[in-house]
Amino acid sequence: NKTQSHSRGEYNVYSTFQSHEPEFDYLKSLEIEEKINKIRWLPQKNAAQFLLSTNDKTIKLWKISERDKRPEGYNLKEEDGRYRDPTTVTTLRVPVFRPMDLMVEASPRRIFANAHTYHINSISINSDYETYLSADDLRINLWHLEITDRSFNIVDIKPANMEELTEVITAAEFHPNSCSTFVYSSSKGTIRLCDMRASALCDRHSKLFEEPEDPSNRSFFSEIISSISDVKFSHSGRYMMTRDYLSVKIWDLNMENRPVETYQVHEYLRSKLCSLYENDCIFDKFECCWNGSDRQVEFLSLIVMTGSYNNFFRMFDRNTKRDITLEASRENNKPRTVLKPRKVCASGKRKKDEISVDSLDFNKKILHTAWHPKENIIAVATTNNLYIFQDKMN
Amino acid sequence: MLGKGGKRKFDEHEDGLEGKVVSPTDGPSKVSYTLQRQTIFNISLMKLYNHRPLTEPSLQKTVLINNMLRRIQEELKQEGSLRPMFVAASQPADPLSDNFREAQPAFSHLASPPLLPADLVSTMPLESCLTPASLLEDDTFCTSPAVPHDGPTKPPPPALQPVKDSFSSALDEIEELCPAPTSAVAVAAEPAADDSKAQPSESNIHKPEGLLESRTAESKLMDPLPGNFEITASTGFLTDLTLDDILFADIDTSMYDFDPCTSATGAASKMAPVSADELLKTLAPYSSQPVTPNQPFKMDLTELDHIMEVLVGS
Repeated sequence: NKTQSHSRGEYNVYSTFQSHEPEFDYLKSLEIEEKINKIRWLPQKNAAQFLLSTNDKTIKLWKISERDKRPEGYNLKEEDGRYRDPTTVTTLRVPVFRPMDLMVEASPRRIFANAHTYHINSISINSDYETYLSADDLRINLWHLEITDRSFNIVDIKPANMEELTEVITAAEFHPNSCSTFVYSSSKGTIRLCDMRASALCDRHSKLFEEPEDPSNRSFFSEIISSISDVKFSHSGRYMMTRDYLSVKIWDLNMENRPVETYQVHEYLRSKLCSLYENDCIFDKFECCWNGSDRQVEFLSLIVMTGSYNNFFRMFDRNTKRDITLEASRENNKPRTVLKPRKVCASGKRKKDEISVDSLDFNKKILHTAWHPKENIIAVATTNNLYIFQDKMN
Repeated sequence: MLGKGGKRKFDEHEDGLEGKVVSPTDGPSKVSYTLQRQTIFNISLMKLYNHRPLTEPSLQKTVLINNMLRRIQEELKQEGSLRPMFVAASQPADPLSDNFREAQPAFSHLASPPLLPADLVSTMPLESCLTPASLLEDDTFCTSPAVPHDGPTKPPPPALQPVKDSFSSALDEIEELCPAPTSAVAVAAEPAADDSKAQPSESNIHKPEGLLESRTAESKLMDPLPGNFEITASTGFLTDLTLDDILFADIDTSMYDFDPCTSATGAASKMAPVSADELLKTLAPYSSQPVTPNQPFKMDLTELDHIMEVLVGS
């Protein structure tokens, strides 16, 4: 009973399955990790759920179905499946479904392989629910969900001479309403909007979104921290959100020269960029997400959520311009208690309950967060744990 | 665009390497800027050459690190191509402006005075021979006006070539440069020496050995970048410990007491201070260990001299 589980706030593991296995590329003598880079749910059409999951090279379509009944009472078979001796069958019996313990089955339905030379970083399902795109560092391919032996290349930024490569694709997403429109972001902080109707190969963008660099903030690391790690359209498709290393930016699709809103996630890291470069943290890829639709407000994208270090995650309210920092940690939060807002002290005297920048744990990073599409429930992933939080109950 | 003084303060309380962007126009800040740049360059090289993964390295990371190296190289190229004259930071009509390449590097607005790339921290008076240890101590009094001086030839920067073994190409360049450090530095048009507040000069004088080291450091800096992204696991063999020793041989560890990457509070920092000792330690070939800090390091100068001799082939 879903309502009941909300009020109790407890969740159990529903299903676990192995999506990908490690493989070995004999040509390059390198291992292909089984690590999953992205998961995307398909819209639900029947009782089963479908999702796409991808590692660096291969995308798989999984069907997840529940079984909580099984047929019993076959006429000709025993319960264990052996056929009964026909001479012992004296009556006609029709099998009936009897309840059983819930069993969740995951079965691979399609495997989309051998289409990416470089590492896949994004998958996105089109609003036509028939096609989807997959993006690697240099190319974006378009697939049909039913067809696995063929995909169409729609973006290719690989230079003729790889020596000249200075920019890679970092994320891509289809527009939520327009099935011929998609965007992709780059390691130089640009977003390109492409229309597939313009040409077969969308090498020329319809729009280019880029914010000019702030000269007062220029440093050796300007390019690296401008690299976009995630891009997400708003529900209406009028806005999109990008995440770079230090900030979240909201763009109006009608304005290309700068974002309409910028939210600083952890500006106090700006003075630590050299160390973060040295320990590779500066390459961490944080995701971002919009709120789901609240019961009162249908499909308005009002709140932005993203992760940070020290198991902190942040939310920004676009209307009130308020923001909050929360922590996903078992030590500091008992179940069913209200999360206490956190504050990082950037410099100067540290107040009580504030955490100084130097005591942040950079190994505890929250890269993935997700918001329930309909309820105010969020899932936050730390390195080894998944936290599910929900709105305060009255 | 040159010499905007607004944010270019050297904050004594802030670690010099982090914090605000520093300009090479002020004395101590120039040192920290070049120090910062050199540190970042070394870190970047280390990241590219030491990574020996079983899986393919991230193309995005490789590209970003390469871009960093290219930017620094470009900047050094520009600085190296300028005559070693003083340019007052505030000088609007820069007499050397026509020597700037059109493509300003990302940090060109900081790079107004010409800087020798070679040992990158030279602010000594021109008459003296340099040892790195003295640089930081002396940078406060380097206000003598520019005098054209013999200095190492700046080789024309080689165009970026397809990757070959960077060690052999660096060796080639060493051999090229070895015979005679002729001074090809022509006297520029009258510099802005009218400005009595001329910026500290960058020295063009090195000991012959220092010269060689600086050349090799420079040629190392001018090396074609490991830009061949198709090569994956095999890039590892390009790492050459001795070359990197040359790169660091000029640098005395006292410079790195600067301790650039820790904050002023420094307490229980999870981030490693970056220092040359750590960089050197992690340059051991075939090491895929990440940098682990916090080990005191004593550089044996005789050992380095020995390595130098071996390399130079004397």
